[in-house]
Amino acid sequence: MSFDDHTPLLRVQNLVKEFKQSARKQFRAVDDVGFDLSQRETLGVVGESGSGKSTTARMVARLIDPTSGSIEFQGEDVTTRTGAALRHFRGNVQVVFQDPYSSLNPRHTVEQIISAPLRYQGRKVSGGYRKAVKEAMDRVGLNPDHSARHPMQFSGGQAQRIGIARALAVEPKLVICDEAVSALDVSVQAQVLDLLRDLQREHDFSYIFVAHDLAVVRQIAHKVAVMSAGRLVEQGPRDAIFDNPQHEYTRTLLSAVPRINPEWESARKSRDEGNLTASSGN
Amino acid sequence: MKLTTAPEPDGRIGAMLSVEGLTVTFPALGSRVIDDINFTIEKGKTIGLVGESGSGKSMTSLAIMGLLPEGAAVEGSVSYWGEQLLGNPDSAMRRLRGDRIAMIFQDPLSSLNPYFTVGFQIAEAYRTHRGGSRRQARGVAVEAMRQVRIPDAERRVDHYPHQFSGGMRQRVMIAMALVCQPDLIIADEPTTALDVTVQAQILTLMSDLQDSTGAGMLFITHDLAVVSDVADSIVVMQRGKTVEQGTAEAIFSWPESDYTRALLAATPRLDDIVDLPEPLRGTR
Repeated sequence: MSFDDHTPLLRVQNLVKEFKQSARKQFRAVDDVGFDLSQRETLGVVGESGSGKSTTARMVARLIDPTSGSIEFQGEDVTTRTGAALRHFRGNVQVVFQDPYSSLNPRHTVEQIISAPLRYQGRKVSGGYRKAVKEAMDRVGLNPDHSARHPMQFSGGQAQRIGIARALAVEPKLVICDEAVSALDVSVQAQVLDLLRDLQREHDFSYIFVAHDLAVVRQIAHKVAVMSAGRLVEQGPRDAIFDNPQHEYTRTLLSAVPRINPEWESARKSRDEGNLTASSGN
Repeated sequence: MKLTTAPEPDGRIGAMLSVEGLTVTFPALGSRVIDDINFTIEKGKTIGLVGESGSGKSMTSLAIMGLLPEGAAVEGSVSYWGEQLLGNPDSAMRRLRGDRIAMIFQDPLSSLNPYFTVGFQIAEAYRTHRGGSRRQARGVAVEAMRQVRIPDAERRVDHYPHQFSGGMRQRVMIAMALVCQPDLIIADEPTTALDVTVQAQILTLMSDLQDSTGAGMLFITHDLAVVSDVADSIVVMQRGKTVEQGTAEAIFSWPESDYTRALLAATPRLDDIVDLPEPLRGTR
């Protein structure tokens, strides 16, 4: 066990995942992936479908077992943890999934959903679970009076907040967001990204933010890992990856992102600024 | 009363598609899902319908095609080369759909039948409207697959949908939509399920095909950047109503409505830089 200034919160090394394709053939979904993550830091993992980004996230969350490689959390190897030790790890690492309606039990109330990790962890909560649930709902901008409702009674953005509240309830250190804002409308997406940044500021969370949308990743990640066909083709600080990509694949990916005509964007901005000056002059 | 305009070279008059006062209600539920939508599509032009979920953009396309769910009541006018489509009997709409008016949907896997080869399905789309032998239709299918740039079309024509990647499946859908050379294409989130690099290829392909066929297009999407790329003019919808409409340049350069401005502000951009909290070093 080591607690010092040099050990990152999370260290992933040489992670490999192979799936059996046929009796003799193995398919390597993740091939030699490694990265470090500090506290209060966000790693964006980007790539196209089949790149292995979700499989990597799921291994780090210990939802699936790696074929080889290691995952160290707070300086301790957690790759093969089981039982109580694994449960302890899960108390520190939570996941928010893409589709809140399929990742939240529709027959459970919001209170049951958000309190589930607390119960699983056997946490003693001062004031009881009900109070903890209401606090968690409040933190993510949900009305605490709605704790007896079911997920289907919420809009997509609200339901995703339930998923975030569930992840936060145990006060984890690391939250893995697997396409957590991909299914949301842009206005809702912007609010959830805001919320995630605010929560990071307040609680020092680290995030692994898996997303196919590069523009979204730029809004949240301190550093970015680009994956293609199971391999990590490039990783680095956010602005280096976006402004000065080294790998051909990263360049291809960035150039494929649709953009609003820059002339129209600047026409709008200059008119907005003009309006601002005009109205402040009045 | 509309003014009569000069006839098209083929003798047709006016706009390819003219939608006026289109309104859809569910009387039993007392709900109005789209309310007074108006636009026209000219030959070779693309209209983009944008909005968030629940804005009524897909319902608008279903109303145009006569595919509204049971219990829906529709008012207004949808005229296609001057022919009123609303209230048209099902048989007449079936003749138009897939022939003169083609549709491309978001999810090719759920729109293709897994039990038949893609070649068979493209050929059937052709034979339904044009007849001819299976053998002849198969040739048409191969040609359509070539047109959408599916490599090795002669061999791939006998493959099943699951043997194609997502992008190639969407090409199959486009081949099927275009096989009768429609003059109006209704594309509902056609690239939403695709990876960005594939999306870029499909958008280029659609625009090339549009250039060569002169088809008009109704392009439905939630993605402002995509619509700015493909559409000549844009209708912004919210909760069933038109918030504003105009040329793409006008909507993006001089948006009038607060809603359009809010949508533009919420759209993440690659070159937007947001302040993030400073990471902490070490572990505690």
